[in-house]
Amino acid sequence: MVEYLTATVVLLGASALFLPLLQLLRSRGANISGYVLALVLAAALILIGLSTLSPSPVSWAGTLLISDQLGGVFALVTVGVTLAVTVASFDFQKGASNPVYYSLLAFTALGMVLLAYSQDLLMLFVSWELMSLPTYVLAGFDKKVRSNEASVKYAVIGAMSSAVILYAISLAYGLTGSTQISVVAQGFARLLSTPSPSTALASVAVLLFVAGFGFKMSIVPFHMWIPDAYEGAPTTISTLLAAATKKAGFIAAIRVLLAITTLYTLTKSPFFTLANVFAVLALLTMTVGNISALTQKSMTRLLAYSSIAQAGYMLIGFVAFANAPASAAASLGLTGTIFHVINHAIMKGAAFLAAALVLFQLRRADLGAYSGLGRRMPITAFTLAVAFLGLAGVPPLSGFWSKLLLFLSVAYGPFAWLALAGILNSAFSLGYYAWIVKRMYIDEGESTERVKEPIWYVVIFAILVGLIIGIGLFPQEVINLASAAAANAFG
Amino acid sequence: MSFVLSLLIVLPLLAAPLVYAVIKVNKRMGVYASLAISAVVFAVAAYVFWQVYATPPAPGQYLLQEKYSWISFSNFGLNIFFGADGLSSPLLFVSALLTVLAIFGSRKLIEHHEAEYYALIFLFEGAIIGVFTSLNLILFYIFWEVVLIPMFFFIGVWGGPRRKYAALKFIIFTYAGSTIMLLGFLYVYLGMMPTPSFDIPDLAGKIPAALQYLPLLASFIGFAVKLPLVPFHTWLPDAHVEAPSPISVLLAGVLLKMGGYGFLRISIGLFPTASTQYAWVILALGLFSMFYGAAAAVLQKDLKKMIAFTSINHMGFVLFGAYASLVIANPTVAYLGIQGAIFQMFTHALAVGSLFMLSGYIQHQAGTREIPLLKGLGTTMPRTAVILVLASAAAMGLPPFSSFLAEFMVIVAGISASAYTAISVLVPVITAGYFLWMIKRTVLSQAEGGQEFHDMGWSDVAAFAVYLIPLVVLIIASYLILTPALPVAQFLKGLT
Repeated sequence: MVEYLTATVVLLGASALFLPLLQLLRSRGANISGYVLALVLAAALILIGLSTLSPSPVSWAGTLLISDQLGGVFALVTVGVTLAVTVASFDFQKGASNPVYYSLLAFTALGMVLLAYSQDLLMLFVSWELMSLPTYVLAGFDKKVRSNEASVKYAVIGAMSSAVILYAISLAYGLTGSTQISVVAQGFARLLSTPSPSTALASVAVLLFVAGFGFKMSIVPFHMWIPDAYEGAPTTISTLLAAATKKAGFIAAIRVLLAITTLYTLTKSPFFTLANVFAVLALLTMTVGNISALTQKSMTRLLAYSSIAQAGYMLIGFVAFANAPASAAASLGLTGTIFHVINHAIMKGAAFLAAALVLFQLRRADLGAYSGLGRRMPITAFTLAVAFLGLAGVPPLSGFWSKLLLFLSVAYGPFAWLALAGILNSAFSLGYYAWIVKRMYIDEGESTERVKEPIWYVVIFAILVGLIIGIGLFPQEVINLASAAAANAFG
Repeated sequence: MSFVLSLLIVLPLLAAPLVYAVIKVNKRMGVYASLAISAVVFAVAAYVFWQVYATPPAPGQYLLQEKYSWISFSNFGLNIFFGADGLSSPLLFVSALLTVLAIFGSRKLIEHHEAEYYALIFLFEGAIIGVFTSLNLILFYIFWEVVLIPMFFFIGVWGGPRRKYAALKFIIFTYAGSTIMLLGFLYVYLGMMPTPSFDIPDLAGKIPAALQYLPLLASFIGFAVKLPLVPFHTWLPDAHVEAPSPISVLLAGVLLKMGGYGFLRISIGLFPTASTQYAWVILALGLFSMFYGAAAAVLQKDLKKMIAFTSINHMGFVLFGAYASLVIANPTVAYLGIQGAIFQMFTHALAVGSLFMLSGYIQHQAGTREIPLLKGLGTTMPRTAVILVLASAAAMGLPPFSSFLAEFMVIVAGISASAYTAISVLVPVITAGYFLWMIKRTVLSQAEGGQEFHDMGWSDVAAFAVYLIPLVVLIIASYLILTPALPVAQFLKGLT
C-alpha cells in the first residue's frame, strides 16, 4: 500500500528536519530526541511491514519509485538497523549536539528507504546522496583525530563513488534517452543486437555502475576505505555503515545491474561477461576479506574485513543471476543474496554493537580486551559468540541457510569452482571467528570484574540473538519473503 | 506418526536451559535434576532400543519414522526426517547411558562453571542423538556440527593445562573434516538432478556409480577424522589428555561412534559401489590404524593417553569389520563383519568409557596418571584396583566380556576376506600385552611407603558396575544387538 510508504517518508523527513529544534529545549531536549527518533523508526518499521504485505508492485510518485517486496525487504533491514543503532546510542550520545546526531540518522534512514524503492536513476542518485552525506558527518562525530581522519577518507572516497555513479547515469541517459531503469535496460539490449560504437560505451556504463556501487558494497578492489572508516568512526556508526548503508549498495546494484543483465551481456566475447566479472569480484572479495581478517589486531578492523568477506558471499547470487537470468539457479541465487543480506544485517549488527559496548565500557578495541570477556560481560560475549558462529555459517544458525542457498545456486554449472571457493572460505573464516570465541570463554582476562551492560543493549542483543537462532531453526518464512523479493527483480 | 525420536532429541535440548537455571539457584539440586533428566532420556532411549529389538525393521527400513517438511523452496526441499534401526538403536542406548554415567562422574570432578557444564552436556546429548537418528543428510550435518560446540568448550574451559591448544586443534580438525563432508553431500544432491533429495532412504541404492567416488572421498575424510583413523588422529590424544574424565567418557564412548556410524550409514549405505571398489584401500588403512593404535599405546606413560590410543585401535576394528564384509563373497560371513562392527562400537563405548572414568578417579585420588609413578594400587586402593583389572579385561576382549565376541566376529570376517588380513589376529595380543604390563606396574607392584590414598566409595563402585555388567550380559544375550543388526548388514551387503 503506497499510503503507508508516503506516511513513512513524511514521518522520517519531518523527524529529520525538526529533531534539531529540540536542542532549543536545552537541558531536557538533549535526551528526548533519541527516544523520539526510536519511536519514529519503530512506527516506520511497522508501516513498511504493512506495505510489504501487499504482493503486487505499484508505481509511486510517478515513475520515480516502485512499491514492491524487494524494496520492502531492504527498507525493513535498513530501518531496523537504524533503529538498533539509535537505541544503542541512548547511553553514549549524551550532550548538546545530541539532536543533530539523531537528525542525521533520520536523514540517512530516509535516504535508504527511498533508495530501496527507486526505479529511476536520478531518484536513485538523489537518495544515494541523501543516505551518504549524513554518514560522512556521523563518521567524524567523535571529534577525535582518528574519527575525523576516518570521516575525511570516507567522504573523499564516497564523493568519488558518487561521481562514478553519476557519470554512469549520464552515459546511460545519453545512450538511451531515459533515466528510468527499465527503459535503460531495454535500450541497452537494443544496443547489443545492433553493434555500434555505442555498444562499448554501454559496457563502460555497466562497469562504472559496478565500481560505483562496489564502493558501498565493500567489494574488493573498492574496499580500501572500509577498515579505516569503520575503525575511526564511532562504533555505533560503524554498525550503521556495515549493516545498513552497505545493504543500500546492494539494493542499488540489484535494481540497476540486474535489470540490465536480464537483457544484456557485456560484450560478445565469451570471457568478458557480467557473470565472469561478478565471479572474479566475488572470489577476490571473499578471499581478501577472510585472509586480512585473520591478521587483524583490532576488533573493529576484524569486523570490517569480515564484512568485506561477507559481501563476497552475497555476490555469488549475482553470478548465478547474471549467468542464466530467469533460471531456477538465478532465483535460488538471488533469494540467497537477499536472505544473506537480511542475515548479515542482523549478525553484523549484533557483532558491531557488542564491539561498540566493549569499546565504550572498557575503552579498548584491541583483541586483548576480549580475553575472558565471557566472565566480565556475559551477555555481550554470548551475543558476539552467536553472531560470529552465524557469520562463519555454523548450523543451525541463520547464516548457514543463506550460504547454503548461495553455494547451491552456482554449484551446478560453469561456476561450480565458486561454490567450492565459498565453502573453503567459510571453513577458513572459522579460524578467526572461533579464535575470538576461544579468547572470550577460554582465555583468562586481566580482570574478572563484572562490567555493567546497559539495559538497552541487553534488549537489542536479546532480539538480535533471538533472530539469529530463530531464523536458523525456522528459516522457511524468511526464505519465502526473500524469494518473493527476488521475484520482483526479474521484472 | 510416532514422536518418540523427536522427544528423545528435544528433551535434552530443553533440559539444557532448565538445568542451567536450576544450578544457578542451587548447585546440589541442579546436579540431581541433571541426573534425573538424563535418566528419563535414558529410559526413552532404552524404549527405542527395545522397540527396534522386538520388531526389527526390514532391510532398508526404519522404525519410529518421523518426517516433517522444514524448508521447501522452488525445487529445493529439506525434511526433518528421523528414524531408527539396528545400527542406530544400540548407539542411542549407549549414548544415553554414558550421559547418565558422565553426569554421575562429574559431580565431584567439576568444580567451576557447573551451570554451563551441565547445560552443555545436555546440548551435547541432544545433538548426538540427532546425529544417530537423522535420515536427512543436511539435518545429519547440522547435528554433526552442533556436537562440536559443547565439546570445544568442555576441553577448552574444564580441561587440563594445555586445554587451549587441544580445544583449538580439536575444532580445526573436525570442522575441516565436516566441511569437506558437506561438500560431498551437496555434490550428491546436485548430481541427482532432476530429482534431488537429501533423504537417506531416497538416496540409498539409487546413486549412480559414477556419482559415488568424490562423495565417498569427501565423507571418508569427514568420518576418518572423527573415528579417528591414522593419520587423521592426532587431535585425539591431545583432546583426551586435556579433557576432564567424564568428558573423555563422552568423547571416546559417543563422539567417536559418529565416525563409525557415518561409515556404515553413509559411506557404505549411500556409496556402496565406490566403497566396494576401494574396500581394500580402506581395509588396509583400518588395519594400519589398529596396529598403530596398539603399538602407540604400548609406549605411553600416561594412563589416559594409553587408553586414548586403545580407542584408535578399537575403532579401527569397526572400520575393518565393516569394509571386510564388502569384499567377502559368502553373505552369511559378510554379515558377521557389519554386525561385529556395530557390536564393537557398543562394547568399546562401555569398556573404554569405564577406563577413562577410572583414570579420572586415579588422577583425582593419587594425584598422577603416570603409570610408572602409580605403584601398589592393589594394596593402597583395592577397590579401584579390582575395577581397573576388570575394565582392562573388558577392553582387551577377555571373556566373559562381550568385547571378546565383537572382536572375534570382526576378525573372522577379516580372515574370510583374505589370508593376509588374518594378521589382524595379532592386534588383540598386543592389546592384552600392554594392558597386562600396565596392570603389573600399577596394581601388582609394591607400594611405596607412606602413601595413603582414599579408595573409591561404594556408590562409585556401583557406577562402574553399570559400565561393566551390560558387557557380561551381552555375551550371553548377544542377540539383543545382533538380531536387529542383521537386517542392517543384509541391507548394506545387498547394495554391493
